[in-house]
Amino acid sequence: MVPFTRRTFVQGISAATAAGIAGVRPASLFAQGHHRAELHGPDIDLQIDSMPVSYTGRKRVATAVNGQVPAPLVRLREGEPTTVRVANRLRESTSIHWHGLVLPAEMDGVPGISFPGIEPGKAFTYRFTPRQTGTYWYHAHTLHEQTGLYGPLIIEPKAPQPGRADREYAVLLSDWTDEDPLQVFLNLKKMGGYYNHQRPEASDYFKDVSQLGIARAMARRQMWNRSRMIPTDFSDVSASTYTYLMNGQSPTGNWTGIARAGERVHLRFIGAGTATFFDVRIPGLKLTVVNTDGQDVEAVEVDEFRIGPGETYDVLVQMPNDEAYTIFAQALDRSGFARGTLSPRAGMQAAIPKPDTPHWLTDADMMGMMAKPDDMASTEGSMDMSSMDMSSMEGSGSQPKKARHARTEYGPAVDMRVDYPRTNLDDPGVNLRDNGRRVLTYADLRTIGGPLDRRSPSREIELHLTGNMDRFEWSIDGVKLTEAKPIHFRANERLRVILVNDTTMTHPMHLHGMWSELETEQGEFQARKHTIAVQPAQRISFGVTADALGRWAFHCHLLYHMAAGMFREVVVA
Amino acid sequence: MDMGSVRSGHVPPDARDPNAYADGFTYTNMPGFEGSDRIKFATARADEFEVLSGNQGEGFAWSVQANYGDDHNKAWFRTQGLKDSGPWDPTTDAEILWWRPLSAFWGMQMGLRQDFGPGSHTYLAAGIEGLAPYWLELEATAYVGEDGRLAARLKGSYDILFTNRLILTTSLETNLYSRPESGRGLGSGLGNIEAGLRARYELTRKFAPYVGYVLERSFLGTADRRRVAGEPVTEHRFVVGIRMWR
Repeated sequence: MVPFTRRTFVQGISAATAAGIAGVRPASLFAQGHHRAELHGPDIDLQIDSMPVSYTGRKRVATAVNGQVPAPLVRLREGEPTTVRVANRLRESTSIHWHGLVLPAEMDGVPGISFPGIEPGKAFTYRFTPRQTGTYWYHAHTLHEQTGLYGPLIIEPKAPQPGRADREYAVLLSDWTDEDPLQVFLNLKKMGGYYNHQRPEASDYFKDVSQLGIARAMARRQMWNRSRMIPTDFSDVSASTYTYLMNGQSPTGNWTGIARAGERVHLRFIGAGTATFFDVRIPGLKLTVVNTDGQDVEAVEVDEFRIGPGETYDVLVQMPNDEAYTIFAQALDRSGFARGTLSPRAGMQAAIPKPDTPHWLTDADMMGMMAKPDDMASTEGSMDMSSMDMSSMEGSGSQPKKARHARTEYGPAVDMRVDYPRTNLDDPGVNLRDNGRRVLTYADLRTIGGPLDRRSPSREIELHLTGNMDRFEWSIDGVKLTEAKPIHFRANERLRVILVNDTTMTHPMHLHGMWSELETEQGEFQARKHTIAVQPAQRISFGVTADALGRWAFHCHLLYHMAAGMFREVVVA
Repeated sequence: MDMGSVRSGHVPPDARDPNAYADGFTYTNMPGFEGSDRIKFATARADEFEVLSGNQGEGFAWSVQANYGDDHNKAWFRTQGLKDSGPWDPTTDAEILWWRPLSAFWGMQMGLRQDFGPGSHTYLAAGIEGLAPYWLELEATAYVGEDGRLAARLKGSYDILFTNRLILTTSLETNLYSRPESGRGLGSGLGNIEAGLRARYELTRKFAPYVGYVLERSFLGTADRRRVAGEPVTEHRFVVGIRMWR
C-alpha cells in the first residue's frame, strides 16, 4: 500500500547496507569478483539450493548454485569430455540448460523436451564434450531463471592461444525482482501493461498540441488508439519491480573490474536478463566488438550495443589512463540501469549517465514496410493492401516480401499482423535510433569464416511471432506451445527459417542444439548466432543445418513470453 | 479497414497451415512441462466500491467482478448495486457467466442474472465485453426474464491519464426494459442513464482510492413513477471509494 520510490528499486542497496540486515547473507558481497569461486572442468559439481538475499533492503529467497547468486563462472575446455553433476536441493523440480552449446539432445536441460527435469533431492549428470569456444552461459529452463539461477560459461580453445587482452572479465547483466516470478507472470496476464509506468499522459498530449498543432498531435495518436496499443510498450517488466544487476551487483553495489592505464581489457558481456534488453556503453571508451554468441566476428568499433536475453557480445577496450570508467547498461525501456566500473583500484567511480529519454515506437514498428504517415496497421481486422501505394514504401530498394500468415493468426490470440514486414538489419532498434552515438546493428556483424554449411537451403520454414499484448498471450503463428505440433527438421538438411514479428516488441529467438546463421536481406550469410533478436514488424531469416538428432526447444528468450507459449518443439529426425 | 470489428479477421484462402511443418510428429508425453501457457488463474476487481452522499441521502454502491479460468474459458461473476435512503436501486443484481474470447479485444458472456430487492426477476444473460478502438471499455448485455420480459444494459468507460497514477475514469451506463416492474419502480423503455467521473490515485497498481461525482437521470415510465413517488428524476451524488483488484 505504500508507494514505492523508484530510486530505491533502480539503485538497489549497497553491500554495506545488506550486511547490516540480520540473518541475511548479502548476495552483493558474494558477488564481488574476488570473492567468487570459478569452477574448472572437466568434472564439476553443482548444488542448487535456495539462499536468502537482499538486493533492495528486503529479505528474499534466491536460487543459488554452490551458494552463489549469480551462479559461479564455469570454465571448460574445447574437446575435453566433461561431466557436470547437478544436485537439486530445492523443494521443487529444476534444471540447467547450457545456453548456446551444441551437445546431445538429452543433455540440453529443457524439462519436458530433453529430460523430465531434476526432481527435488535428486541429481542429474550432464555429460558432453564442448565442440566450440567462447562466451556462453547456463541457466535454469524454469522460473528459477528469474530468481538467480544463471552463470557465465566460458569454453577455452583446445590449444592455448595468445591472449587478446591483458585482463578478462565476464560481465553478466540480469534483472532481480522481490516478487515471486509466478506473481509477475500473473500480474502481466491480468494487466498486460502492469509494469509500464510511462503510458502517454494528458500533459504529453497538450505538449504535442502546442508543438505540432492539434491535427498532428491527433494523427500521431490515431494509429495507436485505433489499434489499442501503447506507443511506449517497450518492455513487459520495468524498474518498478526490477533492480538491474551487473555480475550480481546492484548499481549502488558497483561491480568493479580492475584495469590500469595502457591495458587492453576483454569484456565478455552476457545477456542474462529475464525480461530485459540492455543497451551497454562505457562513456569515454570505444568498444571493439569481436565476438557474438561465442563466434568471432570482424572487429567493429562502436560506442554502444544492445544485448538481448540469451545473447553474448565480447568487447575489447583500451584503458587510456588510470581513471575510472562507468560500464553503463540501461534497460531498453529506460526505466533503470545496471552499472559497474573499470578502474585501476577498487572503490573508484566515474560519473553515471542518466538514462536516455524514451521515444515512442514508430509506424515502422507496427506496420513494417507499409509505414507511411497517416496510415493504419493491419491490426485486428482486415486491411485491403491492394489499395496501398506500393511505390512509396521505404526500405533498401528490394522488393517488399509479403508475409504469409497462418490461418491460426486470425483468432483471438493475435492482436496484430504485419503484411509487409521490414527487412532492414541496420536498425539499432527501439530507443537507440539517432541517439548521436555509433550503435552496433546486426548489419555490422560478420562472422569470420562464413557459414558452417555452404549448401543453399532446400526449403523454407516461415514462422510468425504473435501475441495479444492486452491479455498477455504469446505464441508462434497464433498457437501456443501446448496447442501446437512440433516443427520437423529433416536430418542433415540445410533449411531457411523465416521469422516475421507480428508484434511491437523485440523477441530474442533462441534455437537450441543448432546454430542459427543470420542472413542478409538478400539471403546471404551474415552472422552465426544462437539467439537472434527480431525487432517489431521485422522479417529476418537464418540458415540451419539440421545435424543434431533429437528434440529441441525453440522459443522467445523473454521468460514470460516463453511461459505464455511463444515456444515450439523442433524435432530433428 | 475494419479495426472496430468484434469478430476476428477473415481468414484468407491462402493462409498457411500452422501444422504444415509437423510431418505427423507429435509431442512425446515426457513429464516436466510446466504447461504455463495453459495456466488457470483467478482475478477479482472492484471498479467501484464506494460510499455516497447526494440528493437521495447517503448510502453505498459497488461494481465488482471476479473470474477464473484460462485464455479460452472463464467462469465470471459480476455484481453491482446501490443503496441510499430509498429502496435498493433497481440495477442491484448479480450474474454468473461463462466467458470466451471472440477476438483479440472482445469476449462473449452467457449465463444468469438474479435481481436483488423487491420486484426481482431471474434472467438469462448474453452479451459482449471488450475494448473498442480509442480505448473504450464496453459491456453490452441482453437479458430474457423468467416471464419473458426483456432487458438490456450498456456500460462504457474511458480512462484519462493525468499522470500514470492520477487517472480520471469517465463512465456511462444505461438500462432498458421491455415491461414495467412496479416493485422496482421501473417503467418500460429507457429506464436510466448514469454518468460518472471518478478520479483515482494508484498508490499501487492494485489499490487506488478515488473521489467522484455521479449524475443519474430516469426516463419515460420510470421517471413518471419517481415523480408520483415524490422522488427526483435527476439524482446526483458525490462518491468516495476504493478501486482495487488482485
